[in-house]
Amino acid sequence: MIALLTQDPQAPVNYVANPAPAPVLDKWGQLPELASTFDHVDGLFYFTYIVCIFFFFLILGVLLFSVVKYRRKTWDQPAASNVTHNTPLEVVWTVIPLIIVMVMFAWGFKGCLDMTTVPHEASRNTYVATAKQWAWDFKYPNGSTSTNEVWLVVGKPVQFYLESTDVLHAFFLPSMRVKRDIIPGRFQSVWFTPTITGEFHLFCAEYCGKDHSRMYAQAHVVTQAEFDKEPWNPPIDETNLQSLIENGKRIFGQQCVTCHTVNGTGSVGPTWKGLFTKQGDQYVGRQREVIEGGQKKTITVDDAYIIESIKQPDQKKVAESPYDRNTMSSFANLDDKRIKCLIAYIKSLADN
Amino acid sequence: MTTNVPVIDAHPTVPGLPKNYLNCSRGFMSWAGTLDHKRIGIMYLIGTLLTFLAGGVFALLVRLHLWEPHGMLFTNEKYNQIFTLHGAFMVFLFVIPAIPGALGNMVLPLMLGAKDVALPRLNLLSFYLWLSGAVLATLAIVLGGFDTGWTFYAPYSLYTNQAVVTIGLAIFLLGFSSIFTGLNFIVTTHKLRAAGLTWFRMPLFVWAIYATAILQVLATPVLGITVLLVAFERLYHIGIFDPRLGGDPVLFEHFFWFYSHPAVYIMVLPAFGIISETVSVHSRKPLFGYKLIAFSSLAIAIISFLVWGHHMFTSGQSTYAMFAFSFLTFFVAIPTAIKEFSWVATIWKGSIALNSPMLYTLAFLIIFAIGGLTGVILGALNVDLHLHDTYFVVAHFHYVMMGSIALAFFAGLHHWWPKMFGVIYDETLAKIACGIIFVGFNITFVPQFIMGSQGMPRRYATYVDEFHGYHQVSTIGAMILGSGVALMVYYLVASLLQRKPAMENQWGGVTLDWQTPTPPPLENFYAPPKVTHEVYDYSTLDLKTLQRPVS
Repeated sequence: MIALLTQDPQAPVNYVANPAPAPVLDKWGQLPELASTFDHVDGLFYFTYIVCIFFFFLILGVLLFSVVKYRRKTWDQPAASNVTHNTPLEVVWTVIPLIIVMVMFAWGFKGCLDMTTVPHEASRNTYVATAKQWAWDFKYPNGSTSTNEVWLVVGKPVQFYLESTDVLHAFFLPSMRVKRDIIPGRFQSVWFTPTITGEFHLFCAEYCGKDHSRMYAQAHVVTQAEFDKEPWNPPIDETNLQSLIENGKRIFGQQCVTCHTVNGTGSVGPTWKGLFTKQGDQYVGRQREVIEGGQKKTITVDDAYIIESIKQPDQKKVAESPYDRNTMSSFANLDDKRIKCLIAYIKSLADN
Repeated sequence: MTTNVPVIDAHPTVPGLPKNYLNCSRGFMSWAGTLDHKRIGIMYLIGTLLTFLAGGVFALLVRLHLWEPHGMLFTNEKYNQIFTLHGAFMVFLFVIPAIPGALGNMVLPLMLGAKDVALPRLNLLSFYLWLSGAVLATLAIVLGGFDTGWTFYAPYSLYTNQAVVTIGLAIFLLGFSSIFTGLNFIVTTHKLRAAGLTWFRMPLFVWAIYATAILQVLATPVLGITVLLVAFERLYHIGIFDPRLGGDPVLFEHFFWFYSHPAVYIMVLPAFGIISETVSVHSRKPLFGYKLIAFSSLAIAIISFLVWGHHMFTSGQSTYAMFAFSFLTFFVAIPTAIKEFSWVATIWKGSIALNSPMLYTLAFLIIFAIGGLTGVILGALNVDLHLHDTYFVVAHFHYVMMGSIALAFFAGLHHWWPKMFGVIYDETLAKIACGIIFVGFNITFVPQFIMGSQGMPRRYATYVDEFHGYHQVSTIGAMILGSGVALMVYYLVASLLQRKPAMENQWGGVTLDWQTPTPPPLENFYAPPKVTHEVYDYSTLDLKTLQRPVS
C-alpha cells in the first residue's frame, strides 16, 4: 500500500504538445456541438433524456407524496390500503414503456445503419489510421502521412480504415459522434462528414495500457484550399538551421512527446536533453551505455546512432532502468529531411 | 388474506434463556468449521465488508489522483493498477458474493422455515473458496499488481507483464464459490420449504435469490473457462485470443460478456429481492403485483443471457447482431421498470416508517430510477456509439452497482441487523449516514454523466483541461460518500459493543424470518413452522411481539 502511494520521481509528461481547445457545447449544454452529419444521435439522445426525466420525476413525485402523506405516526398504524395488485394499471405500465422503448430501438437502429453504411463519396476519400501504443499514425488518400494530427476537409465525407499494430484501441471523435474499436488483425472502418471547421479531440477510448490516456490526436477540419497546402507537411528550408530546429520541435510535439521529454526528466523513454555537449561550435556526443544483441556496451552519441534509434529502436537500447524494459515502436516512416530536423533540435538541447 | 390467526408461535413455552446461534458454542473452530448457515453468513458479511472497504479505498485513491488533469498521486502505470484493483475487488469480491453470501445465507433458510441450507458442507466450501480467492487477489497485488481493467480484455491481458495469471486463478476460485452457493440455494428452495409454503407464498427475496442462483450456475462456468484460456495462452502460447498466434480478441469479449452481463443481474437481482422485503415491511403493506415481480425476476434471468452484445456495439459485430442485442436490451428494461413501479405502488397508501432501512430503500428507489433510465439511453445503438467507454457508462453502472446494489445491501443489512445480532444500532447516526451517502454519491456521479456525454473517455489517468471542474466536484463527492460509509461502519461496530437490545420483531415483518426468536437458535425454529396465510399479510401481524425486547 505504501509503495503504491509514493509517487515515482518522474515528472509528468505533457499531455500532448497542443491539445485542441475545449469544444463548444450545444445549446442544451449536454453534448459537444455536433460537427458531423450524425444529427440523429443528438435527436435520440435528447428524446430519451426527456422521457427519462419525465419518468424520474414521476417516480420521485409519487415517492415523496407518499412519504409525506402516509408516514407512520403511531407504531401500530396499519396501511391505508391493503391492495395487492391492479391488473389494468399493471398492463398500462407494462405496455406504455414497451411502446416507448420500441420507438427508441427503431430510431437508434436506423441511426446505426446510417453510421455503418459507408457512402460512395466517403469510400473515395479513404484515410488509414494506425493505432499503436501510444500514438496515432495517419495516411492520407494521396499517400502522405502525419502523426497525432490529422487534417480533414469540411463538408467532404471521409472514411477511415482502422488498424492496430499491438492491442485494442478505439477511434473516438466526440464532436463527430464517431467511435469504433480498433482490433489487431481485423478490418474496421468508420465514416463521417465533418460539417464545421476547427480543431477537435481524437481520443483512444479502449484501454490500451500505460499511456492510454495520453494516446491523443488532434483533428483539424479545414477548407479544401487550406487542405491542398498540406499543412501536415510544411516546407523545410534545409539550409537554415533555425528552420530545422523549429521543424524538429514541431515533429517532436507530434510524434515523440508521448514518451520523451526535453527538460532532463525521464519518462517512458530517456530525455533528449544533454545528449550532446556544446564545445565552441562543435557538438560532442555523450557516452552512453546501451544493450546491443544482449551485450552491454558503451557508445558515443552521434547522428548515426540517432537515426538508428528512430528507425530500429530495438537495435541499441539504453541500458538504464526503466528504459531497458520499455519498447519503442519504429518510426521508419520519417523521411531523412525530418530526421535531420530532429537531430538539429536535439543538438539545440545540448549542455554548454 | 385467509386468516387473522398469527402464523405460529415459535417461542418456546419452556422458561429460561434459550441459547441462540451466536452463543451456543465458542472457540475459533466453532466458527471456522461451522456448518450453520447463519455463522457462514456472518463470516461472509465480515469478509465482503472488508473487501468493500478495500475497494472503497482504491476508489478514493482514483478520485484523488484525478483532482489534477495531469494526475496528482501516481504514475500512469500505478493509476491503471489502482482502478483495476478497485473494479476487480468490488465486482468479484464484493458485489457478486455479498448479498447471496452474507444476507442470502443468513435469511434464505429462515424465510423458508428450514433449519439450514440443503448442503451445509458445500456452503462452508463456498466460503473457503471465496476466502482463497480473496487471498489470491491480495497476493496478486503483492506480486506486482495487475493493470488490465476488471475486464481483462485480450490481447493486452496476454502481453502485460503483470500478475494476470494469479488474479485469473482467484477469479476461477471465486467462480466456483458462486456456483456452489447458487446450487445450494436452488436445492434448498426446492426441497426445504416449510409446510404450507407454496411457491407463491415465498417472500420475494427468496424468488430473487432463486433466480440469481440459476444465473450463477449457468453463467459462471463460462467465466471460469475464459480465465483458464487466458492463463493457458499466457503460459503455453496457445493461440485463442491473441491475433499474433491466430486467435481472435473479439472472441474474448464475447466469452467475457456472456458471463459478465448475466453477472450484472447476479449482482442486482438479490438487491431487488432485498428492496421487495424492505419496501413491504416498512410500508406494512402487501407487495404490489407480487406475481408480476416474481415472474419479472425469472424473465430478467432468462433475457439477461441474450443481451451481452450491447457491451460490444463498437467492436464491429454484424449489423444483425446489433439489431438483436439492442432489441433485447430494450426488452429487458420492461421487467425492470415493472419492479420499480411495483415498489413505488407498494409505498403508496402504506404505513411508512421512516427508519434507517426504509431511508436506504428510498435512496435505492431514487438512485435505481436514474441508473435504470440511463441504461435505456445506452441501449440505443447510435447513441451508444457516442457514449460507449466514456464516463457516462461509468456513471451509469455506478448508479446501478454502487448506488443501487450497495445501497440495497445496506438497506438489507440494517433491516436484518437486529435479527442477526439481537442488537440495534444508533438510529439517528444511521439516518445521518444514509443522508451523507445519498448526497455524496450523487455529487460524485452526476458530474460523470455530464463529462461522459461531452466525451471524457474512461480509464484515463490524465485528461484534457476542460473536464477539470467536473473531476474536482466528483472527487469532493467521493470524499463525502467515503465519510458516510465510514460513519456507517462506526455505528454498526459500536452497536455490537454497546449491545442495546433489539425488539423480537424489530420492524413488524410477517415472513418466517421474523417468526423465529431473535437472534435465532442454532436450528432456527423450535418446532417445524407451518404457513397458513398468504405472504405479506400484515393483518396477521402479532403486535405483541413488536414491543417485546429480546431477552
